[in-house]
Amino acid sequence: MHIPDGLMAPLVAAAGWLVAVAVLAFATRRVNRDLDDRRVPLMAVLAAGIFVAQMLNFPVGAGTTGHLVGAALAAMLLGPWGGMAVMMVILTIQCLLFGDGGMTALGLNFVNMGLIGCLVGHYVHRAFPEKYRIPGAFAAAWLAVFLGSLACALELSGSYMLSGGSFGIAPAIALPAMTVYHAIIGVGEALITTGVLAYLGQVAPEMLRMSRKVPGSPAAAGEVRTDG
Amino acid sequence: MVERRSLLAIAGILVAFAAGLVLFFIFSAPYGDGLERTMEHGGVEEPEPVYHAPLDYGDSYAVALVMGIVGFAIVLGSAFLVGKAFGKRGR
Repeated sequence: MHIPDGLMAPLVAAAGWLVAVAVLAFATRRVNRDLDDRRVPLMAVLAAGIFVAQMLNFPVGAGTTGHLVGAALAAMLLGPWGGMAVMMVILTIQCLLFGDGGMTALGLNFVNMGLIGCLVGHYVHRAFPEKYRIPGAFAAAWLAVFLGSLACALELSGSYMLSGGSFGIAPAIALPAMTVYHAIIGVGEALITTGVLAYLGQVAPEMLRMSRKVPGSPAAAGEVRTDG
Repeated sequence: MVERRSLLAIAGILVAFAAGLVLFFIFSAPYGDGLERTMEHGGVEEPEPVYHAPLDYGDSYAVALVMGIVGFAIVLGSAFLVGKAFGKRGR
């Protein structure tokens, strides 16, 4: 779902940058306030792991592939603002070093994958009670990808209409294609996310407790606050 | 403890990546992702980038593996520095 240069209308791309800068300024303040120094290695390993996971495309049928976005997973483990910081690092390196996603579209790529992915992933997951943590993660991860793709489709459509067809893709094509493909890709995202969380629940359950602030848990004290 | 877990996680991720990359080249390499397929449906070809990146993920297993490890290391270092720079007041 990495948008390349020249696909979106300049006005839409500029709006993406504007939103991304404003959100990142806020996220940076929250990370500055909330991120415990001891969580930094986890944040770094998670970012690097998501980077390599994004390189592995899996087939979803009809000659199409998908890959993990990882924003929901990052938000579930680090909170939405820490997750956004991780996603921005990944997207920036993918863009600057590997040409994956355009420079002019970096703001939109952050909005679609980082901002929407982390907010949806975090708050939908949190809405589920503790005993439904895994089904909640599945729903949150799927919805994060689906809503991110819907946003991308709206940006493509908006670009098309604003530019009279010079940029973007006609809404009649962009909306159904993006959402149908990513509804399927989202299942892969949800399976991987729940698999990782289930694994962590077995081998390092304190990592999950840290992000959910279980009252009385010593591991939760002084760690990342994810209260919005 | 966190450091040991981090090292184990790094090793685990790299092993999983090396194994997953094989499956990628077997099953997925020639296909586009959801956005690329949507662009095909819309008759849109990927425009010329305004910025040319110095690296790419490569078309062979060996190159992709090396690029994955290079990217892993750079993201690991960058995220660590970002965390240290912006997270320090949370101590």
